[in-house]
Amino acid sequence: MILNKRKIISSIALFICFLTACWGIFWLSFILVDVIRHGISSINLNLFLKDPAPPGEEGGGLRNAFVGHLLITLFATLIGVPIGVLGGTFLAEYGRKYNFSKIISTLADIMVSVPAIIIGAFIYAIIVKPFGHFSGWAGAIALGIIMIPTVLRTTENMLSLIPWTLREAAFALGAPYYKVIIQVVYRGAATGILTGIILAIARVTGEAAPLLFTAFNNNYFSLNMSEPIASLTVTIFQYAMGPYEEWHAQAWGAALIITLFILFTTITGRLLIKRKYKE
Amino acid sequence: MQKQRGKFKDLIFLSITAVSAFAVIAISIGIFLVLFKESLPSMNKFGFEGFIFSTEWDPVQEIFGAAPALIGTLITSFFSLILATPIAIGIAIFITEIAPNFLKGIIGTAIELLAAIPSIIYGMWGLFTLAPIMSNDIEPFLQSTIGKLPLLGKLFEGTPLGVDLFTASIILSIMIIPFTASIARDSFNLTPSVLKESAYAIGATKWEVVKDIVLPYSKLGVLGGIGLSLGRALGETMAVAFVLGNLNQIPKSLLDAASTVTVKLANEFTEADKDIYLSSLYYLALLLFLMSFTILALAKIFLLKAERK
Repeated sequence: MILNKRKIISSIALFICFLTACWGIFWLSFILVDVIRHGISSINLNLFLKDPAPPGEEGGGLRNAFVGHLLITLFATLIGVPIGVLGGTFLAEYGRKYNFSKIISTLADIMVSVPAIIIGAFIYAIIVKPFGHFSGWAGAIALGIIMIPTVLRTTENMLSLIPWTLREAAFALGAPYYKVIIQVVYRGAATGILTGIILAIARVTGEAAPLLFTAFNNNYFSLNMSEPIASLTVTIFQYAMGPYEEWHAQAWGAALIITLFILFTTITGRLLIKRKYKE
Repeated sequence: MQKQRGKFKDLIFLSITAVSAFAVIAISIGIFLVLFKESLPSMNKFGFEGFIFSTEWDPVQEIFGAAPALIGTLITSFFSLILATPIAIGIAIFITEIAPNFLKGIIGTAIELLAAIPSIIYGMWGLFTLAPIMSNDIEPFLQSTIGKLPLLGKLFEGTPLGVDLFTASIILSIMIIPFTASIARDSFNLTPSVLKESAYAIGATKWEVVKDIVLPYSKLGVLGGIGLSLGRALGETMAVAFVLGNLNQIPKSLLDAASTVTVKLANEFTEADKDIYLSSLYYLALLLFLMSFTILALAKIFLLKAERK
């Protein structure tokens, strides 16, 4: 009898665990289905090819926001990735013996989760205020700073996975350390580092908070990074909070595009790393 | 000659990588110093206690107090943590101990995708889809059940509008599930199988193994995961900005609109026309930075300790 009771308790507890997993899956599918259901009807060529119409009028698109978002993300990647990869290289190679390298790793881990809006406020003080206006550059730098710790930590981990004997073999041929790193270690860790970069891009693509008071917004098409520039995420915020049906529809369309892009890149990154380290 | 040049190039590469690594330290310290400097005028005018305990937020008369925003941040963070933690641990148990192998990967990835969805999508979905459901169905239902209880009932007083602390906390709780879940899963996997097998050998059921062997063994890791989630919840901006209403008041129930530090920053930063206004917003940002940094650092220490074990 006692055994039976314990077995029943066990089954109930495990069933509750099963339900919690369902709870997680439920919200994921709810959100995804909802975004697709609302967004799909607003996806048309106009959304990509036309600039916004005056508020309340029919038609128009979000060309300015798509292009602006692409520019900001591109430059953020150009800022964040080199610093992240090189910093990670230092921690895993030259600096691996030192205690302060561990401190930097730990600090980077903490910085990964520091609120993005704080980075926005920081950039506002050091770039927007001195120049006197919002700019695409400020937005790109803010996103770049958010990328650094993520890329740095993945690079460090991926480089540490390369066996030490591989480096020694290259040293034995008389290669200086920098050549060993670039030609041997980077080559071995390329997939891993690339995955880190992809995941970092996926993360900053969805950021809105740090752009609110750095890149700000722009209702007109612009390629000038020294001026305020539109981004999809800030546009979604503005349109969704606005009063017009037309705005809401376009915000859903933009939300669908961003979600699909991020899910696609995240899953690609995961598959890459799974294939690489299965062997 | 050849060797000399190699050494020289090596030194250059070393310096470039070193500078990049130290950029992380420079940025962290830079953020602190800049936030501190920007908030000095407000600190001087209102002081520490005068700022965090004052409920006044009046840009016209230039009186600023942080209490409503801080309380909003604390309520949403802790309430979402209470909702998310048991669920995240349940998910981790399901993935590590119960699910068949082919499901492990799929469910693990699905849960982590919850973390990949941008917060602005959560916010928009929360405003247009979840908030109406909350105000029409769920909140009235809770009012007619839990709301009738003597003490808990106080939490659900008021008109169910959907744009309130309750909805915001639900959304936050969904967003932070993956952080606790994935770290708890990793910690569970670290439990030596010898321990589990010995427990099974003396006749323990699966749940008893989880409850008495796996959970105590991975306590530190799970705590670290919870800390990380809390850090995330404190700083979440866009998801909350949509469904909280940015109302500067001390909430009396979970069905009140309110504000958080992040929502205040997102809504008012570009409107701050006076120096003392902006400085007070920076003061809020500094407090938020210190809170989340401390909690994340503690979480990290727990995780490092768990790893070393």
